[in-house]
Amino acid sequence: MPDGSFAHPQQRQFNPYTDNGGTILAIAGADFTVIAGDTRQSEGYSIQTRYAPKVFRLTDRAVLAVNGFAADGNMFVKKVKQRLEWYRHAHAKDMPLRAIARLIQTMLYAQRFFPYYVYNILGGIEEDGSGAVYSFDPVGSYEREACRAAGAAQSLVQPFLDNQIYFKNQKAAPGTSHPTHLPLSDVLSIVIDSFTSATERHIEVGDGLEIYVVVARGRSPQGIEGIRGVQELSAQPNGDRTFILRRELKKD
Amino acid sequence: MDISFALVGKGYVIVASDTTAARSIVKMKVDEDKIKVLSPHLLMAYSGEPGDTVQFAEYIERNIRLYTIRNTHALRPPSAASWIRRTLADSLRSRRPYAVNLLIGGYDTSTHTPHLYWVDYLGTMSEVPFGAHGYGAYFGLSLLDRYHDPEAPLEEGLATLRRCLDEVAKRLVVTPEKYKVKVVDKDGVREVEI
Amino acid sequence: MNSFLTRYSSTAPEADIRKAKELYGEDEDFSEVMWGSTGGFGNLASGVPMFKLPSVQDPASFLRMHTDDHADPSCRIKIKHGTTTLAFRFQGGVIVAVDSRATAGSYVASGTVKKVIEINPYLLGTMAGGAADCQYWETYLGIQCRLHELRNRERISVAAASKYLSNLVYSYKGMGLSMGTMICGWDKTGPAIFYVDSDGTRLKGDLFSVGSGSTFAYGVLDQGYRWDLTDEEAQELGRRSIYAAGHRDAFSGNTVNLYHVKQDGWKFIGNYDVSELHYNGPGDVPGAPGGGYGYDIRVAGRTSANPPEGEGQA
Repeated sequence: MPDGSFAHPQQRQFNPYTDNGGTILAIAGADFTVIAGDTRQSEGYSIQTRYAPKVFRLTDRAVLAVNGFAADGNMFVKKVKQRLEWYRHAHAKDMPLRAIARLIQTMLYAQRFFPYYVYNILGGIEEDGSGAVYSFDPVGSYEREACRAAGAAQSLVQPFLDNQIYFKNQKAAPGTSHPTHLPLSDVLSIVIDSFTSATERHIEVGDGLEIYVVVARGRSPQGIEGIRGVQELSAQPNGDRTFILRRELKKD
Repeated sequence: MDISFALVGKGYVIVASDTTAARSIVKMKVDEDKIKVLSPHLLMAYSGEPGDTVQFAEYIERNIRLYTIRNTHALRPPSAASWIRRTLADSLRSRRPYAVNLLIGGYDTSTHTPHLYWVDYLGTMSEVPFGAHGYGAYFGLSLLDRYHDPEAPLEEGLATLRRCLDEVAKRLVVTPEKYKVKVVDKDGVREVEI
Repeated sequence: MNSFLTRYSSTAPEADIRKAKELYGEDEDFSEVMWGSTGGFGNLASGVPMFKLPSVQDPASFLRMHTDDHADPSCRIKIKHGTTTLAFRFQGGVIVAVDSRATAGSYVASGTVKKVIEINPYLLGTMAGGAADCQYWETYLGIQCRLHELRNRERISVAAASKYLSNLVYSYKGMGLSMGTMICGWDKTGPAIFYVDSDGTRLKGDLFSVGSGSTFAYGVLDQGYRWDLTDEEAQELGRRSIYAAGHRDAFSGNTVNLYHVKQDGWKFIGNYDVSELHYNGPGDVPGAPGGGYGYDIRVAGRTSANPPEGEGQA
């Protein structure tokens, strides 16, 4: 103790973590990927800000969504971006998506004994032009999937996605079969519906919605340019193209 | 939990250990040899924390072997036991100690004397006429107090060991089904069926 | 450049940077390999990577406090758990079968996990316990096995590969790693299985099952196991055993992944939905008797009623 006495035994606990709520989700199409997240940041029952982005553009063909502890998340994205910049300087090209996924695993696992409290979802376009989603746990185990929701409302959103994307517990009409990939317009509707519903039923979800769409090079953006408020982020229009779409969510 | 017994008789030491490797409630393996032959006249039964046991036993095995190669003569049982105990005691005072219990049985060819040492993970060692580790000790030690004979010939020694194993089988809730039994005497080490 | 020399020299420019780092306390150790083509795993090939530790008295209990959902279900960082995996050796090689469910608390975090890790064309590892621990260290083991091949012009034995992993996880004992794995393969000695876990245990054997559903898998596996099983019978036994665990253990299920290791390396046999196995069986697969594995399906129409002759339903 400061005065040198030991009158009262003291116990200290080191708790560097908190949960800042929110939800993220990503869906892969045949030649595009949609990555989305709400923008509310909260702690307990207090809303800290109504606009804190959780989805970040890494390269022309990769977008990372980060959920969990915001401070860890922002730090982590910063470090991933730094490593990707170094790669760009060394190789004069962007790191391929599957390599970014492996990089994220090693970076998360390097913190195995002092983990980042973050759930990552990486979305984008593979080198073969297919849409891809990679999801991670806080210490780096990962898997490529067609769709994934994470964060506060994952248990609300994921079952909906299972039903609408994987057609789980659905039976195709006689003589027909379920499509393997949905068109972009259907996926966007599903994403927006997921978030409006999650906002209704989860207190930590709401305020704003940011949807990133990555479309493979040479593929049709399927009319996304015509959607209200769409903004194109890609530098050159002949490569993979990234679009962002913002929507309001309820603020109560 | 592992069960091991050892006893001295006229010119020999018998060392016995069960052969199960368990994790939680599951037997992962039923024929695991948990008695190492350290030199032509030295045996060591080991038990305790999974992982530590094999790592420690292999470390001891290789260092005893190294000594034998360097000196063209194996360490005699009392010296070997002292060195092993010291290794365990030093480890106890390290950041991560080995949690291993041992029974070291050997035959000293120069004095024609069998030796048995009981060593626990704290580095406690004592030379004993018989010893045990694990739950078997609760049943076996009193029995050996009553029936052990330091001058018993091998057949009788094995019969006494048999009594211990039978008692464990009779009274202990969970009992191992198989034991590995090794004998060391003037002719060296051999395995016996029981 | 001799990196060993520069690391320990006191005059090179690197030494000045190192001193500066020590002085100002750089928060991360950047190495040159992070720049180059080895960007991801490059730092691994040159040795065991460094891990950041929290500045507390006991890092292991810090980690446990925040990640152990068994001790505290409300803990923040839920590491994926729960599994059934099995592997057995027989006349025709090694069968490896696993389920595909990952749980975080009571939430089914994923139903499509790949719990067989393809270390190289001759070695398979299974995943039970911490998903990241198994995935990371078995990938790392794959790197070391490849380096062994390049250095010695010879494939690594299953015994050596498993011992490499066992020694590695043993060096982290008490730090909170959680893995129970089977390293399976075929080498000069023939088919081999080693069980390796994060306690440091390493066992050679013919038949192992690991995970929360292992007892249920053992129940079917032990009863059906013989050395002289045919390939088809063995594959069916592996599939049937994981189904049994998926049916009885809440933490296991979704699908079965089946592999067969032979002299010329491993082969992926198939992926089978547990519910589908329950009602309809594996479909048109060699060795399968046909029909669902489920008890009610298997005994449909059979009864234990034993009325005397002439009585009962007329």
